Amino acid sequence: MLPLLDPGRIASGPVRTFLLIVRREFLTRVRSRFFVVGTIVFMALLAGYIVVQTLVFNRATTTVNIGFTSQTQALSQPLTAAAGTEGVKVVTHNIADVQSGEDEVRSGKLDALVSGDPASPRVSVKDNLNITVAVNLNALVKQVALNRALTAAGADPTAVQAAVARASIQLVYLDPDAAIKTQRTVVGVFVAALLYVALVVYGQMVAQGVVEEKANRIIEILLATVRPRQLLLGKVVGIGLVGLLQLALLGATALITARRFQAINIPNVGATAIAGGLLWFVLGFILYALLYAAAGSLVSRQEDIPSVTSPLTMLVVATYLVFFWVTANPDNPIGITLSIIPPFAPILMPARIATGDAQLWQVVLAVILTLGEIALLNALAARIYANSVLRIGTRVKLTQAWRGAD
Amino acid sequence: MTEGGLQLRNITKRYGSLLAVDGLSFDVQPGEVFGFVGSNGAGKTTTMRILLGVLVADAGEVLWAGKPIGFETRKRIGYMPEERGLYPRMRVAEQLAYMAELHGSPSTAAVASTARWLERFGLKDRGKDEVVRLSHGNQQRVQLAAALVFDPMMLVLDEPFAGLDPEAVDAMSEVLHERALAGVPVIFSSHQLELVERISDRVGIIQRGHLVACGTVDELRSGGPTRYWVDVPAARDGWASLLSGVRVVRTDGTRWLLELDGKTPDQAVLQAALATGPVHEFRRDVPSLLDIFRESMTEDRVAASA
Repeated sequence: MLPLLDPGRIASGPVRTFLLIVRREFLTRVRSRFFVVGTIVFMALLAGYIVVQTLVFNRATTTVNIGFTSQTQALSQPLTAAAGTEGVKVVTHNIADVQSGEDEVRSGKLDALVSGDPASPRVSVKDNLNITVAVNLNALVKQVALNRALTAAGADPTAVQAAVARASIQLVYLDPDAAIKTQRTVVGVFVAALLYVALVVYGQMVAQGVVEEKANRIIEILLATVRPRQLLLGKVVGIGLVGLLQLALLGATALITARRFQAINIPNVGATAIAGGLLWFVLGFILYALLYAAAGSLVSRQEDIPSVTSPLTMLVVATYLVFFWVTANPDNPIGITLSIIPPFAPILMPARIATGDAQLWQVVLAVILTLGEIALLNALAARIYANSVLRIGTRVKLTQAWRGAD
Repeated sequence: MTEGGLQLRNITKRYGSLLAVDGLSFDVQPGEVFGFVGSNGAGKTTTMRILLGVLVADAGEVLWAGKPIGFETRKRIGYMPEERGLYPRMRVAEQLAYMAELHGSPSTAAVASTARWLERFGLKDRGKDEVVRLSHGNQQRVQLAAALVFDPMMLVLDEPFAGLDPEAVDAMSEVLHERALAGVPVIFSSHQLELVERISDRVGIIQRGHLVACGTVDELRSGGPTRYWVDVPAARDGWASLLSGVRVVRTDGTRWLLELDGKTPDQAVLQAALATGPVHEFRRDVPSLLDIFRESMTEDRVAASA
């Protein structure tokens, strides 16, 4: 157990009450089947997605079994080396005579048998030959033929080959970061999508938690011993920790899988994106959770929640959609401004951090503005919550919730 | 009179144009069971919520041991609201320990006290069950345990007997008495007047936000008129109307309910009754709490319309 979540260490007072509420909110949800099963399924899906992506689009390792007779033995090592760099694994077999080798090709034990003169070998296959093997074998055979011709002409094949090896094209990179940018954009989309889903899901969870206490009337017992603001903040922080734990698990899964299968090969991009994502989840979650809690406190039944939370959810969805426009136009001042001001910053800024478009001053300014808005909303949401949470029955109007009078 | 215990002084609460509680004052002493009686909407629940600090009064004050009651003192009050509430998906023992800790009990004491109250209410084996899996009666027991588990210095119970079977009613009354004997002031409200009469040390009758009567059951009874039931089978109609200082309240067959004014001696009435023939019954009519309640309702209406 985290020491933070052990209120037993603190003897009494408002901090202990707050920690007790945080602990209950956290443990109740983390121990639920919904959380345990949901997190494992998401982790498996995410890891599976990355693995499949990598295998299908990046490299397919194929193994080819090739038999060599004593005459062609010299070709086996260079072929294995050449094909290996192109993702084809060649397994070589020493074959005593052509007859038995071709029998093994027919039976499927071998994919090909290389026999005869190394300068023009006979390659026996069932019905086709792996294209990489064919290309490399052809090149090797031409090399053998060339060496023979050079020797016949009185030249030294080793010296000629060294001269040939030195000759190469001169590569000039005109847009060296193109590949990196593509990877960064993919990571940015991933971060924005994860934050968007997390804010909606956990915001909704906060609203449900608030309404749950109204619906089953425990709120009255709680408020006889706890201040409304303690209850509100305890709930927000407790549920926020659940979200943080789940996101951290998903982020770690993505990072480890991507590293293991080399889906991302730019150092630190993944780690930076995830660290930025977690920081902004904390800020964005607190901001939206306060709004969701205030909205939830207006109604008394679970089925009425969507009617009060849908404007908030629409705001998150709209921000997520704006993200695609911002990525496509990274230098547009409107996009940059939107990514700095809350309530858009918590989705747009981490995505821009991941795509590498955000500058440090923009991040710092966005954090300061978001913290300011959180302070403002904390007072505002606590007032609405305190005025509405004991009114069980019909939906409380916002004006009533604000004034507190009947 | 003022050391220890609870005092309400001129509590007033208004909901818009409705005056829910109107200058209400009463005391509850340590070790006393105070029954709070009134019709629906009379202001009982509002008063209790103000006492707990769940609602804020427009005027007046709540005192504990002579000083205005504070947040930390209120935390030590065991409260059972009229609308029962528990977390349905939380385990019984965890829920009770949580309640105890919220009210300020240290963790180890909370666990020990939870075990003690579960044992007391016969729920020792249900501690690991979710509340929603318990029967209605057992959920009520858990609800009461939630008000007791942190060893409260006062108990405020809104309609604690509503929906209980007779066995549970007895168990509940026993707990209230036991707590009172331990020096805890106990306030409870109820519609069941015989029950209130049986278990309360003192009773307050509330109507339209103010107390119309308050005192021990005996005090309330002695404050009423002097009435006698007289069964005189041989008497003619109107025999009693001839007696001075006597009013016929009602008749029931050959039985007459007579009300005597303060000056008329009961023996004179008995002699007049004997003069009519045999007397089968001559008994002082002790008003029940229900009678007193009806009486005070009527007086209050008269006073209000005057």
